[in-house]
Amino acid sequence: MAKQYDVLFRLLLIGDSGVGKTCLLCRFTDNEFHSSHISTIGVDFKMKTIEVDGIKVRIQIWDTAGQERYQTITKQYYRRAQGIFLVYDISSERSYQHIMKWVSDVDEYAPEGVQKILIGNKADEEQKRQVGREQGQQLAKEYGMDFYETSACTNLNIKESFMRLTELVLQAHRKELDGLRTRASNELALAELEEDEGKPEGPANSSKTCWC
Amino acid sequence: MDQSVAIQETLADGEYCIIAVQGMLCEGDSRQSRLLGLVRYRLEHGGQEHALFLYTHRRMAITGDDVSLDRIVPVSRDFTLEEVSPDGELYILGSDVTVQLDTAELSLMFQLPFGSHTRMFLQEVARACPGFDPVTPDPEFRWLSRYRCTQLQSQLPTPHGWNSAPGTWPGCARIGGGRYPSRNGLWGLEEARSGAGSVLFGGGAVDQTGLRLAEVARGGGPLWGRSGRRGRRDEEVEEAGREMSAAAGSRERDSAGNSHFDDLRPNGKGLLVDQSSWGQDKPEDLLPRQNKSKSEITDMVRSSTITVSDKAHILSMQKFGLRDTLVKSELVQKEEDYTYIQNFRFFVGTYNVNGQSPKECLRPWLRHSVEAPDVYCVGFQELDLSKEAFFFQDTPKEEEWFKAVSDCLHPGAKYAKIKLIRLVGIMLLLYVKEEHAAYISEVEAESVGTGIMGRMNKGGVAIRFRFHNTSICVVNSHLAAHTEECERRNQDYKDICSRMQFCQVDPGLPPLTISKHDVILWLGDLNYRIEELDVEKVKKLIEEKAFQTLYAYDQLKTQVAAKAVFEGFTEGELTFQPTYKYDTGSDDWDTSEKCRAPAWCDRILWKGKNITQLSYQSHMALKTSDHKPVSSVFDIGVKVRNEELYRKTLEEIVRSLDKMENANIPSVSLSKREFCFQNVKYMQLQVESFTIHNGQVPCRFEFINKPDEQSYCKQWLNANPSRGFLLPDSTIEIELELFVNKSTATKLNSNEDKIEDILVLHLDRGKDYFLSVSGNYLPSCFGSPIHTLCYMKEPILDLPLETVRELTLRPLWTEDDGSQLENPMEIPKELWMMVDYLYRNAVQQEDLFQQPGLRSEFEHVRDCLDTGMIDTLSASNHSVAEALLLFLESLPEPVICYSAYHNCLECSGNYTASKQVISTLPTFHKNVFNYLMAFLQELLKNSAKNHLDENILASIFGSLLLRNPAGHQKLEMVEKKKAQEFIHQFLCNSP
Ligand SMILES: Nc1nc2c(ncn2[C@@H]2O[C@H](COP(=O)(O)OP(=O)(O)O)[C@@H](O)[C@H]2O)c(=O)[nH]1
Ligand SMILES: [Mg+2]
Repeated sequence: MAKQYDVLFRLLLIGDSGVGKTCLLCRFTDNEFHSSHISTIGVDFKMKTIEVDGIKVRIQIWDTAGQERYQTITKQYYRRAQGIFLVYDISSERSYQHIMKWVSDVDEYAPEGVQKILIGNKADEEQKRQVGREQGQQLAKEYGMDFYETSACTNLNIKESFMRLTELVLQAHRKELDGLRTRASNELALAELEEDEGKPEGPANSSKTCWC
Repeated sequence: MDQSVAIQETLADGEYCIIAVQGMLCEGDSRQSRLLGLVRYRLEHGGQEHALFLYTHRRMAITGDDVSLDRIVPVSRDFTLEEVSPDGELYILGSDVTVQLDTAELSLMFQLPFGSHTRMFLQEVARACPGFDPVTPDPEFRWLSRYRCTQLQSQLPTPHGWNSAPGTWPGCARIGGGRYPSRNGLWGLEEARSGAGSVLFGGGAVDQTGLRLAEVARGGGPLWGRSGRRGRRDEEVEEAGREMSAAAGSRERDSAGNSHFDDLRPNGKGLLVDQSSWGQDKPEDLLPRQNKSKSEITDMVRSSTITVSDKAHILSMQKFGLRDTLVKSELVQKEEDYTYIQNFRFFVGTYNVNGQSPKECLRPWLRHSVEAPDVYCVGFQELDLSKEAFFFQDTPKEEEWFKAVSDCLHPGAKYAKIKLIRLVGIMLLLYVKEEHAAYISEVEAESVGTGIMGRMNKGGVAIRFRFHNTSICVVNSHLAAHTEECERRNQDYKDICSRMQFCQVDPGLPPLTISKHDVILWLGDLNYRIEELDVEKVKKLIEEKAFQTLYAYDQLKTQVAAKAVFEGFTEGELTFQPTYKYDTGSDDWDTSEKCRAPAWCDRILWKGKNITQLSYQSHMALKTSDHKPVSSVFDIGVKVRNEELYRKTLEEIVRSLDKMENANIPSVSLSKREFCFQNVKYMQLQVESFTIHNGQVPCRFEFINKPDEQSYCKQWLNANPSRGFLLPDSTIEIELELFVNKSTATKLNSNEDKIEDILVLHLDRGKDYFLSVSGNYLPSCFGSPIHTLCYMKEPILDLPLETVRELTLRPLWTEDDGSQLENPMEIPKELWMMVDYLYRNAVQQEDLFQQPGLRSEFEHVRDCLDTGMIDTLSASNHSVAEALLLFLESLPEPVICYSAYHNCLECSGNYTASKQVISTLPTFHKNVFNYLMAFLQELLKNSAKNHLDENILASIFGSLLLRNPAGHQKLEMVEKKKAQEFIHQFLCNSP
């Protein structure tokens, strides 16, 4: 197995309390869904290893408390993130309206070059829908973000959105990575004959975007 | 220079320094060089334990004399050595590696030089860490007891102590002073003769004084047994590997420049430290929780810098080495899940060509089977017997024979040459069918010459590779000649086995040896002869084709049967006549002077599973040499990967590692997260407690500062303890203590501050929990400004909060506007109440203002004042007197305003000027001052009873009425004196 370099970075989930941030995280890392809502009080994280374009990526995903009164503190975590999910609930107009506020917090507190992606969660709740798909798309376009409607409940677009944000972050850090890549290939000149084993299809090859 | 050699000299029998690295121990700002040696000890029952030995050293350590043991850190279950990222930096090529060593007892930070040697060191240490497998017993580290003084033995903790018992136990050690014989000699058992230096175990305060080397006397040890010898061999192999890697390490070091320690950056423990804590205990392995007092627990916590700052964004891979290793080993373990066995045909041939060039076509040898083999392994010996070939390693014969072989491979397929390796006359060629080339990987070739100069034409060459998922090693050897050299041949075989080492793709892994392969094919002129029969008898048996009978006299057969050589190898039945020695160009036995007896010199053996020999034969048709070529065709079952299943297995492994890792993130549950403190009163402690219940991962917790704040909570709050260490499944009670005093009361009155706070409880390498504190404060006259109180005609608690807030925020100099309207009181009614009470009850009280009051009575006084129910006031005179003093002390603006402080001191002694200063005070303050002076004078009239005099009162009230605007507490003696003198004047003179 040609040894590749690995990358570690942080993604952050933000949005109103109850929009499904914790569920999105659980679905992605453990493929589980719990319908009970125990609101996150503090910040929690989980690790996940994925492969994108042959790069082993380890992501630390931070789940934050959404409640108003903790926001002064949770904002302080933004600056440690390389990628941020802005999550609203399609069955809550209010959570959608609040995205604007969340975006301005991100602009203020997150590092420059942080990658953002807009998520309209609970896409399975079609009958309770208050926010149209186009509205989500429109907002994402305004802010120059990618947009996904997801459902932690039915596992819709979960992997896709996490992969997408990961890709965006990798793209944004392409220079640093290329540096590592050159070095790695120097070290591995001996391994020429090695077949390209150990490259699972799945997540790795599902990302067709060529960013290098 | 491999410094583990120096360390090894100080070690005892059975201890082996696997690898050493020189680094900098960082303690605060100090940097001290330390030699870190990873020492392994083999246990009798087969297991092994490790410890990290830290040495101080002079110069670069060359011998044991250069090092002296500083402390020993056993590699116990709670031992971790992890790379941490320098603060807020991206990975920098060539930068030092900062590592953090943690155990339950101690925490050390080292900087190690950049390079593969450090990398290797870290990998070795990771390997040495006891796993989390609950089946393996906890390491006991009994062997380390030799480093402790005998007299301290009684204090040794239980064997488990190394793993989880907190605390430290300094002990004494005997350390060899480098007087051991060379490593090749026999080491005796040691006995301590006298005084020993003390060595720190685990953690604790460094004992700098006791690091003298102990004198060690050696007694004669037992002779090496058979097993002992085997052990040594093992270590020699490891040593050889280490030398190689050390050389590589120093190369890197040179190219990176020699200034590893020049550039010392401050380090923080990065949040992005690899979270995998593989060394963690499962709960059932741990000792039952020990009951510790809070202070003990907090003592164990090192002061850690918490990572609110931004950390490295993207880190390089290297810290995932451990993870990679785990993935690989899991893949190997689960190989059966995603591979199936498929047969491939291997042709293996050996030919001693006696220095000849190819003169005949090799087809009869190489192409005798119908089916085209998938793989060709073709070996030659005595390719070139010339001196030039020996000394210059170059021979035209290589090309000639390579071509001869290539031309005669089976025409039924196209072949790709994978590798050619030659050592003087020993050459090995590996070809595979073109279509298989893509499945050949990790090709390495090595050679080993045996014997000393002059015998270097003997030895072996080998090619190792992976074919699909099976590792294969092909060895071609030419062993020592002559009938009587049987032992020598066996030795040559062993030398080849031990010295043949292949690099691994991952430079951190130890080199591979021949025996580590799934399939081994061994061919060559092994030179074993037929013994005990005279030449004629041998020839007769051959004529009769009585090969079975003859075989009984074959040295290789007897040596293998005696397990002296080729252990575990198989050879097919010999159904062909001996292949040596013929007159060149014929099938006639040797007619030369020497008249060698015929022998089966040329052989093919194998080792491994799923191998079927289809043929084993010689080829008499070839007459170029005095040997006949031999061939064997095998069907070898190779593990072929089902890509679909492989992908699934890999994903599963990665997923389960992630899962394990997530399960290893410290996590606790809190019995309570919201705390409401109701009706908080001035100087009245309120406590709310909660418990932290730890999950399954031992962890450190700490309340951390919120960004831009100086402490983890508001000034009126305190968490006790505010940090600590939790064992799995253990619980700790935390008390939140709320206490409002003079420095926090005013802002609570004015509502500039509220009983509201959020505390961040941080778990080291884990989550953060938010605790919210809320409540309400009952305003009090204590902490309220004089003028505010003067405007409050109602008791403060009867006023709406909004009014209290407004009045508290009212500036000091507002007396003129609207004061008429509001008709303020001249002095605060609360002051009047207290003074009046004392005037009525206490003018004759002995030791007034000098005896302390009672806390409970103070609370009562406060409540009476704040509710206006002065009639119910019943307290001792001393308590009321103290309340008065507290009242004055809590005034945010002292009676003599800060702005007048310096003026007062200046004119102290000049009564007229002093009165002048007083007259400039704001009215309410002036009133209060005069009122107090009048009261004090009244007291002095009763000095016969109450024993008060001007000096006592001046010293008590001087520092209350006059407070230094810059930090009131630390009044200089001179200032104090002047303040007293200032008050003194007013006590002696009538106004
Ligand atoms: N129908 C539906 N419910 C969801 C989905 N995601 C989350 N929920 C529910 O929404 C509630 C809040 O989810 P949670 O993840 O705790 O929200 P958070 O406060 O943003 O972390 C829970 O009761 C979840 O079961 C979803 O995709 N579909
Ligand atoms: Mg949540």
